[in-house]
Amino acid sequence: MLNIVVGIKWVPNTTLVNIDPRTGTLIREGISSIVNPHDLVAVEMALRLKNEYGGTVTVITMSPPSAIAGLEHVIGMGADRGILVSDRAFAGADTLATSYALAKTMERLDYNLIVFGQETIDSSTAHIGAQVASWLKIPYIYYVTEARYIEDRNIIRVKRALENAYETYELELPALISVAMHSLNPRRVSIYNKLRVKLESPIETWSNEILGLEKNCIGLKGSPTALAKIEMIPKVLRKNEVFKGNDVKKAARWLVKKLLEEGLIEI
Amino acid sequence: MKGAGYIFDAIVVGAGPAGSSAAYTLARKGFKVLVVERGRTPGSKNMFGGRVYADPIREVFPNLNKSAPIHRWVTKERISMVSGEKMTSLEFEGKKNVSFTTYLTELSNWMAKQVEEAGGIVLTEITVDNFIVKDGRVKGIRVGNEEVFSDVVIDAEGINRLLLERAGLIPRITPNYAGLGVKEVIKLSKEDIEKNFGLGSGEGIAWLLIGDIMEGLPGGAFLYTNKDSISLGIVVMLGSAMERMKEHISRYVERLRLHPLLEKYFREGRIMEYSAHLVPEYVWPAIPHRLYGDGFLVAGDAAGLLLNLGYNFRGVDFASYSGYLAAQAVEKAHSLGGMSAENLSIYQELLEKSFILRELRKFKNAPKMRKNERLYDFYPYLINAIADKIFHAKYETPKIMDAFKEANKGRIGWFTLIRDLYEVSRSI
Repeated sequence: MLNIVVGIKWVPNTTLVNIDPRTGTLIREGISSIVNPHDLVAVEMALRLKNEYGGTVTVITMSPPSAIAGLEHVIGMGADRGILVSDRAFAGADTLATSYALAKTMERLDYNLIVFGQETIDSSTAHIGAQVASWLKIPYIYYVTEARYIEDRNIIRVKRALENAYETYELELPALISVAMHSLNPRRVSIYNKLRVKLESPIETWSNEILGLEKNCIGLKGSPTALAKIEMIPKVLRKNEVFKGNDVKKAARWLVKKLLEEGLIEI
Repeated sequence: MKGAGYIFDAIVVGAGPAGSSAAYTLARKGFKVLVVERGRTPGSKNMFGGRVYADPIREVFPNLNKSAPIHRWVTKERISMVSGEKMTSLEFEGKKNVSFTTYLTELSNWMAKQVEEAGGIVLTEITVDNFIVKDGRVKGIRVGNEEVFSDVVIDAEGINRLLLERAGLIPRITPNYAGLGVKEVIKLSKEDIEKNFGLGSGEGIAWLLIGDIMEGLPGGAFLYTNKDSISLGIVVMLGSAMERMKEHISRYVERLRLHPLLEKYFREGRIMEYSAHLVPEYVWPAIPHRLYGDGFLVAGDAAGLLLNLGYNFRGVDFASYSGYLAAQAVEKAHSLGGMSAENLSIYQELLEKSFILRELRKFKNAPKMRKNERLYDFYPYLINAIADKIFHAKYETPKIMDAFKEANKGRIGWFTLIRDLYEVSRSI
């Protein structure tokens, strides 16, 4: 049986976010949040494993309470239980402090497999999975596209995608896998599962009162990462010249002349 | 089957104003209600111009004024006829709290929240595939291979009535019975809005424009001021617009925004949103459609309950109130012993007695009147030409009659003019 824990993140929908050209910061105003799309792939992987081998899927997120909507969504997909790790004391956490709090939460759960998405769309560090595994001292692997549970050997056999090859590994359980983005198509929510969210309240909130984590290891205090500066990549101005006329030969000559002038081609 | 035990007194399809009003009314009476909405949040699939009439909705939601997302109370009404870069306007100002501007997304969310607070369940991201029909009676809904049962289903799915069409309960909608609304939301600071439109704090304007600003499309343009944005768009009659549209409709709205008469009002603005949606334009009651049957009721846009007078639109309040009446019908049918068509027929009676059908009947000629091309084209030209001659007279001011004759150039006779005037004042 696989008792799976999936970590997800509630992120601003970055496809809608614009950058303020003057300040270089994200304009988040009025932008809705979503479950990080790569994490939905992780949830899908977990649900498939559960369907095939039996067990449970618990989803965890560390976030302000608005992320409950995200947990509702993944429970709507079929996850059994959601845990919101939420406390003002966790605010301002970098990946180290976040992974610490997540690992300490997972320690309290009966799990033998942890699944993460490859990275988040709002920060793209891809740190959390590896760091959680390190805190928990369990093996981990990234870019997984397929996984099979071999119960009698207590291992998970995974295929992972590299740029030009597939590799197959076997990891002893408990282990952590990070699922390659786009490798699976996340399922739609089901009405029975959504009703379960409303009628059975499968979502719990764990504050630091429950977890009792040392103040120096969480939140801003537990975060050694410092962002020094954000610099905008300057926009390349294009000249945007258009040749007018129908004479193809003239157009070609005109184009070659322009490119030569700009030093973009040589004869 | 897992979950097969879920049974509700009523299932409402669609968490728009009609659906949430029905669900809220039923939930408050102790009915076990489920609302299913295909959008990610209530209101993420619907759209309107920008203004809501408060009184009917306040009857449904008594706490409207206290907690609803009201942006601005409309204190200024302006109707403009545009011809080239000339515009003649009629403006009314009065400071009563009769209608307000808002975002429909916010209002729908607020209504859905009222449903949940009253004990109803609202599920989003659920697309109903069809009704469960047994022995000619609607018994519930089917979502994928999952079924949820109820005594009655209230269909408030909006103008894209796929469920009703699939169930064979109504014919397919055709372009001649639909309008198309296209809208941009332009971000503008509260201060700029109040300065540019001459509004006091919390006051709003509803502005409708006709004339060549529409570039020959049959319909009109609208502008509403929200809290810190402007809703600007057009509504066209889909059937005839399809024949005439030379390019994508978004380009027409783009040029409307850049129109020299309008652009100065929101020069500092930034476009936040673009949306388009169908608007029901039934010739009521020429098109028979049953709004109730064994185990179901239809409310809101799905029932075609929207009034477009050309100078005014009533959609959200009609939708909300029809949902409210549907809930009353369910309550009544419940006391009569069940959700048969016979027991639910009280819904039709309630609608007939309400302002909704009285209004729709009263203005049943409005759609026909709005087909008169001269309203969009010639009269805006004429009135501006006359005004131009009178107000922009350099040395001598012509008499109004002479200005009219000169502007008209014999294009329409007195008979046509008087007949059109009569038609308009009789229709709306």
